[in-house]
Amino acid sequence: MLNYVVRRILATIPVMAVVALFVFSLLYIAPGDPAAIVAGDQATPADVERIRESLGLDRPFLVRFGEWVWQILHGDLGTSIFTNLPVATMIAQRIEPTLSLMAVTLILAVSVAVPIGVVAAWKADTLIDRGIMALAVLGFSVPVFVVGYLLAYVFALELDWLPVQGYTQLREGLWPWLENLILPAIALGCVYIALIARVTRATMLEVLQQDYIRTARAKGIGQGGILFLHALKNAAVPIVTVIGIGIALLIGGAVVTETVFAIPGIGRLTVDAILRRDYPVIQGIVLLFSFIYVLVNLLIDLLYTLLDPRIRY
Amino acid sequence: MNRRAFLQSATGAGALAATAGLATPAISQRVAARTLRFVPQADLANFDPIWNTQYVVRNGAALVWDMLYGVNADLKPQRQMVESEEVSGDRLTWTFRLRPNLKFHDGEPVLAKDVIASLARWQARDNMGLMIKAIQDELVAVDDRTFRWRLNRPYSKLLIALGKVGTPSCFIMPARIAATDPFKPISDYVGSGPMKLVRSEWVPGARAVFEKFSEYVPRQEPSSWLSGGKQILVDRIEWVVMADPATASAALQNGEVDWWETPIADLVPVLNKSRNVVVDIADPLGNIGSFRMNHLYPPFNNVYARRAILTAMSQEDYMRAVVGDDAYWKPLPGFFTPSTPLYTEEGGEILKGPRNLDAAKRLLDQSDYAGQPVTCLVAQDLQIAKAQGEVTADLLKRLGMNVDFNAIDWGTTAARRAQKSPPGQGGWNMFHTWHAGAVCVDPSSYTAIRANGDKAWFGWPTSEKVEAEITAWYEAASFEEEKSAIGRLNRAACEDVVYAPTGFFLAHQAWRSNVAGIVKGPLPFFWGVSKAA
Amino acid sequence: MNSPSHATAFATDAVVTASAASDFVAAPELPDILPPVKVRRGLVGFLWRHPAIAIGGALVATMLLIALLAPWLGTVDPTTVAPARRIREPSAAFWFGTDMLGRDIYSRVLYGARVSLGVGFFVALLASLAGLAIGLVSGFLRWADGFVMRVMDGVMSIPPILLAIALMALTRGSVGNVITAITIAEIPRVSRLVRSVVLSLREQPYVDAAVAAGTRTVTILLRHILPNTVAPMTVQATYVCASAMIVEAILSFIGAGTPPTIPSWGNIMAEGRALWQVKPYIVFFPAIFLSVTVLAVNLLGDGLRDALDPRMKKRL
Repeated sequence: MLNYVVRRILATIPVMAVVALFVFSLLYIAPGDPAAIVAGDQATPADVERIRESLGLDRPFLVRFGEWVWQILHGDLGTSIFTNLPVATMIAQRIEPTLSLMAVTLILAVSVAVPIGVVAAWKADTLIDRGIMALAVLGFSVPVFVVGYLLAYVFALELDWLPVQGYTQLREGLWPWLENLILPAIALGCVYIALIARVTRATMLEVLQQDYIRTARAKGIGQGGILFLHALKNAAVPIVTVIGIGIALLIGGAVVTETVFAIPGIGRLTVDAILRRDYPVIQGIVLLFSFIYVLVNLLIDLLYTLLDPRIRY
Repeated sequence: MNRRAFLQSATGAGALAATAGLATPAISQRVAARTLRFVPQADLANFDPIWNTQYVVRNGAALVWDMLYGVNADLKPQRQMVESEEVSGDRLTWTFRLRPNLKFHDGEPVLAKDVIASLARWQARDNMGLMIKAIQDELVAVDDRTFRWRLNRPYSKLLIALGKVGTPSCFIMPARIAATDPFKPISDYVGSGPMKLVRSEWVPGARAVFEKFSEYVPRQEPSSWLSGGKQILVDRIEWVVMADPATASAALQNGEVDWWETPIADLVPVLNKSRNVVVDIADPLGNIGSFRMNHLYPPFNNVYARRAILTAMSQEDYMRAVVGDDAYWKPLPGFFTPSTPLYTEEGGEILKGPRNLDAAKRLLDQSDYAGQPVTCLVAQDLQIAKAQGEVTADLLKRLGMNVDFNAIDWGTTAARRAQKSPPGQGGWNMFHTWHAGAVCVDPSSYTAIRANGDKAWFGWPTSEKVEAEITAWYEAASFEEEKSAIGRLNRAACEDVVYAPTGFFLAHQAWRSNVAGIVKGPLPFFWGVSKAA
Repeated sequence: MNSPSHATAFATDAVVTASAASDFVAAPELPDILPPVKVRRGLVGFLWRHPAIAIGGALVATMLLIALLAPWLGTVDPTTVAPARRIREPSAAFWFGTDMLGRDIYSRVLYGARVSLGVGFFVALLASLAGLAIGLVSGFLRWADGFVMRVMDGVMSIPPILLAIALMALTRGSVGNVITAITIAEIPRVSRLVRSVVLSLREQPYVDAAVAAGTRTVTILLRHILPNTVAPMTVQATYVCASAMIVEAILSFIGAGTPPTIPSWGNIMAEGRALWQVKPYIVFFPAIFLSVTVLAVNLLGDGLRDALDPRMKKRL
């Protein structure tokens, strides 16, 4: 098993290398002068020249790439051309709200979607099942920000149950922190819930056809036991896989959700950066979140060994 | 106990509560009542009020740095950091004495040398400052609390220059910070004003936090705009940046913020209906919407092209796009604030009457417009700029011009408009902004009306006639002479199209009903503002 | 097939015959034919059996028609500003009302359909073509597989919206750039799918036979493998289309997508969001259109998946 773990970890290195290479090269395959892009819209020709020198465009590509990777490994993600602060600092200032939002959404989504998917599979082809699946397709289709505005309008403005915007830090209290995150988490989680519910249902359906389920039923085990003890455990691997892959949705959706609910997180930072064409910030964010995504999926792969002892490739 | 000690003790208690970890709800409620949450007009991305003349920067700077003089609600300069001034008989020598016990945020006393350095930096960027510099013989510190300014010609507007609202306002910084090149931003924000910028909590794009400076000694007089005692009645002011007006409106209604600087006109009816929100006109002197054309490069280096724009543009369209309701705007066939003594419409025919697209197109042809793209900077996160930008894009299209629409943000606009490079290489042809009516009352602090080419405001208009009339106004001996100078100035400005005024409009501000002390004015004044729990 | 009456007659005969010999017990009457199942043939039958395709397809077709016929459906120029008539509620004159610059929202939404559907369609097409090429090569040529899949894994590790944002940050906002950016983000998914199909097909006997017979690789790919990828790819293409439309809306909403001068559903919603509380219709109408279209495309994809090959359910 240690073998497996080590091999999986080593396998992520080439992936991260590709991510890094890809993100690094984006600047050079885009049309236009890389120095001008990095210097930004407001740079004078003198600034552009200065940046061109610092980029060292006359040196070979791989050398530049190597230096850039070296910097990143030391935590230097570049400097924002707009605020002149290190990108790493700007991200650190704003990472807590985003991670909080993602965590709450993840927990919410999984706790809602998996039971729903199980119920849909259990009551396959009935009205309940079709209803749930219809809702799931709807969840895919309505954009995040529309859901966000609707929720804000109904629950925050009309009913006044929850705050309409903002973020309270965790150290100021659990409930205030949670209060600010409920509506955004629901908005962000819709797509995620739909995805997980669908996959849960599909996998459960397959598992429920298996012989060992029939055996369990014949043995007299109750419905709940069958569903949750036997079926779900065996369905876990694809479900957990989808949870991992779906985190990309969370990361992407956080950008919009934070805009709608005025949460001062990385998503807002991205939106501001793109309006200002502050490329180093965007590059840093893309890199960071890609790495997070790769790591999360690595953890999930490692989690498989706990869920399914047969997995040992 | 004198007032100072009382203030200090209250501050001490408040500060202690604020830093003591907010353990119980009772304490956090008390602290909340000592924190004012304000939604500014734009993001505070950088914070040098001399280098960046945007209003949002000045508004924050007014908290952090103090001024030698400050205008009151009648736009008359009153002493602020200055205790007394002496003018020689020939009005050429001004000797100023600073108030005692003025301190910077790092504890250092404010000395005359700091004032000299700050004045020098300010002069390099300010129109009035440059005028003064041109006629000054010496500006020296006589001793730690006294400095002297010797001119070779009288300058009646000296005190107005030192106390004006128009950017850049004359803020007093420590000498070491004021030594920074005026064309580069400062990076140290130690100030002389009633509040400190909390650097560690400043997140450009999201928030800026100001904390009360306990050793600030306000004047005794009641405050009025920039004059009088700047009493801060809260411990913290948090600027919460909300680019989305809907979010800001909802937050204000829900009590999540206390004061919104720029509610958009369309949301005012909603705010009016909300029980706990007060909405009012921000400043009866209003604002003049504008867009600047770049006089250095084609097509707008040709006066016919500029006149074509003025002939075709409809102020009604612009103003409706900005404020909607007809109650909040007036057409402006000129460059000066309506309902003020010097207001004039002389020479403004080009902006009056039904719009003539054909005549405009003929003027454009006369200017030999060759179809080159017109680079239009339109800030998306500032409603006034965005709305005007869209109307302009439509106008240019109807004129048959080629529009290069640059959707950027307000911060980038500030940096980009300073570029003198050609439009295809990082420069620009048009950008949209507005000017506070308080500044456009007369030419004294009206940077935007100057037409002295390279030294003028962005767009760099050149017009000898305009400059001549400005000088004439400065030299006018009577009110009648001033009025006739302004009339001719208006005409010249319209003929040479210094910039394009899009109309006069009133803006609102909105606050929670438990906030007291908010006054009308050209910028949000935080002194005297308190919040009931 | 014998008719029931004939059978009953036959049975009656049997009973009559049987009752003649009274010591025989009569056999129970068993119908030997079941009532015939009426199977509807043709397209209508197909649609009846697959409601998802029917509904999804109909909605998509409607949207396409709307987009194509926009100039003739009672619209005006969607970009002309007329602040004099700004923020009018929906009425007979302006079916969806006007926005804050006086532009007719009905026209903008209909013309916006062109952008959104165009982006969706072209992204689906281009991503499919590119993904197909990559997947075929990677699946069939073992020496290329490892490398190509690593690259695809890497690109897939970048959350699609962030990738699109990064690409848009490098260029000016335009429909073409948006299409390119989203396509690049979607290619890995398609290529993975094609690769998995190819991998499973590669082991088939007829492919082995073709290889043994010395058929050129290209021919094998085109004649044997490619036709089998069409079905899963079509389904995947619909999902890519739906995803692209949402990503475009999000990009436009945050200001990184199509330029504000071209109406797209995302743009219209972005502009309307300041007034969401007072004039929700500005966001409401494009939101409905977008949701319905994406829903329709998703339904279509689900339906196609079920119709073409139920086994695909596992893979997709």
